[in-house]
Amino acid sequence: MNKLLIANRGEIAIRIMRTASRMGITTVAIKTALEPAAPYLATATEIYDNTAFTTAVPVFLDVDRIIAIAQEVGADAIHPGYGYLSESAYFAQKCIDQNITFVGPAPDAIYKMGNKTIAKRIARKIGIPMVDGSEGNISDADQAIKIAEKIGYPVIIKAASGGGGRGMRIVRKPEDMERNFNVASNESRKAFNDPSVFIEKYIENPKHIEIQVLGDTHGNVVHLGERECSIQRKSQKLLEEAPSSALDAKLREEIAGAAVELAKAVKYFSAGTVEFLLDADKKFYFMEMNTRIQVEHPVTETVTGIDLVEQQIKVARGEKLAFKQSDIKMKGWAIECRINSEDVQSGFVPSTGRIEKLEYPSSKHVRIDSGVTEGTTITTGFDSMIFKLIVSGENRKDAIENCKKALDELWITGIKTTLPFFRMLLRNEDFVKGNFSTSFVENKLDNFVLADKNEEALAAWIATKLFFEEHFSDDSNLDYEKGKDLGPWLLNRRIGQF
Amino acid sequence: MNMMNIEKLIAVSSSGKDFEFEMPLKDKIVIQGEEYDIKLYYTEESGLYLVWNGKKYPVEIVKSKQNKYEILFNSISYSFTIETPFSLQRMKVLKVNKPSVGNISVKAPMPGKIVDIICQKGSKVSRGEPLLILEAMKMENEILSPIDGTVLSVSVSKDSTVMKDDILVEIEEKKG
Repeated sequence: MNKLLIANRGEIAIRIMRTASRMGITTVAIKTALEPAAPYLATATEIYDNTAFTTAVPVFLDVDRIIAIAQEVGADAIHPGYGYLSESAYFAQKCIDQNITFVGPAPDAIYKMGNKTIAKRIARKIGIPMVDGSEGNISDADQAIKIAEKIGYPVIIKAASGGGGRGMRIVRKPEDMERNFNVASNESRKAFNDPSVFIEKYIENPKHIEIQVLGDTHGNVVHLGERECSIQRKSQKLLEEAPSSALDAKLREEIAGAAVELAKAVKYFSAGTVEFLLDADKKFYFMEMNTRIQVEHPVTETVTGIDLVEQQIKVARGEKLAFKQSDIKMKGWAIECRINSEDVQSGFVPSTGRIEKLEYPSSKHVRIDSGVTEGTTITTGFDSMIFKLIVSGENRKDAIENCKKALDELWITGIKTTLPFFRMLLRNEDFVKGNFSTSFVENKLDNFVLADKNEEALAAWIATKLFFEEHFSDDSNLDYEKGKDLGPWLLNRRIGQF
Repeated sequence: MNMMNIEKLIAVSSSGKDFEFEMPLKDKIVIQGEEYDIKLYYTEESGLYLVWNGKKYPVEIVKSKQNKYEILFNSISYSFTIETPFSLQRMKVLKVNKPSVGNISVKAPMPGKIVDIICQKGSKVSRGEPLLILEAMKMENEILSPIDGTVLSVSVSKDSTVMKDDILVEIEEKKG
């Protein structure tokens, strides 16, 4: 592998290119018309200018275009990152057909695990526990209602080709079925180009536990422990940890063992994630397998010391894994906070604007995987996740303390982000005790930000100050012309109007 | 506005809390009975920030119109109206006399496309019930009713594109 085309953007493109460069591989990033000055371009050895191509489909989803670009730049490998074409068996096969190395698993494994119905059949065959549900895809809301009556409400509708929470809806009563069925199906069609959905019993208040697996093309599969991903909202993960305080060594072995078995059953190689639900009785159920590198992979890297992208590249080159299961040691604790451009005080709606100031915390416990810089404009055209704050510690308590400190040091202005949410969450008693499930954010939190009386008083003083300066501005103490004192911010053209 | 005779200003938060400040405003604040120095700074490096009790806090003025301000303080949004003792008195009187029912405009929280309309004119809706679905950032977002009431009008149609703060639905609050 000499030249790697990155069929992705944002933080993951940067993260992949860093490792690839360290391994002496030339990297190529694709410049698009939507963000021609994006920070990920600066990390690449070469930039392919695709700005002239403005099609309805983003280039990162355009199989033929990506292959054509790879051929034009002479790339012998493509890394798809996450999202986009990362779980397209068709794309992986196309790469192989064109003699380009696809950095990821075999098309057959992507297809089998990507299709949730087939994945369940395989998992059931090898005896992995799972929840009741439709045996295959369902065609309409009526059929969904029939199945729901059989397995009992609540049920969850899921996209057959889904992931990342898109195309998923929980239904608690028959009259809500049709609307939710349509929403899930529409979302699924838009996000994955496949409207098929299935339904299954919805486990109330489970934990979301996932196992990182890693396989090579010689039949070896190991696991790199679990990630705790229960802190989510509308099935969108917000915070992840490794390890999980919900597992003991025995349960970890059981769940991880099941994940490795499943991976072996589809001759899996490269990095993959097997997702499970863990109910209140510590029974676990297979949910799905994600055949890509995941957003939250850094927490696993932090506790294992293994660079997953490096392993993906080595496996893609046909190398054997350099370690056995017994060589993998987990050390310490890691927490990842997803900093999204969202207004948490208005129901986590996307926040757009220009990032004015951005200062990351500096600590040996902190890793930042970012796709933005000061001056980056956030639009609604892309995913709202702008960077990830990954914090480590010797144990969970230590990691939480380090994370609180890092969040306090993080300075970001110009857009609203999930930062204040995490400042609140890391101080929440139940979170600190490990007492939470996937419904925690939506059901157990009254406030999504840290309510601080002192800070409100300070903000009140600022508002009063603004009013006072505006109405008392007899120019005795202000010099707008020279932009001194209060001038620059009072005259700030960016201030919105109600 | 001639404010030379005004002795104090009151910042009324959206949650109804009053914060009083003596005029002319000084770089001081009393918090829990203790007086602190407080100061706003603007530098090229950090932008606008406030220093209180030895700590720097980022400050952003999100919106300002007449006496209304939305301040993003340490990444948290606070909204205030600034009142004089006289206007505060008048506001409180108006509040008492105003009936507790009213019409609420549900606005688009972000730009996007209306992919589905669930409610219609005359629908009885309860707080938290989805009114319509707005697609933005590849996610379908349910726009929920903020109150119990009756839909007076739906101002958008399916597949229409909306800008942030466009009025989507008007709801008459349920009495009682």
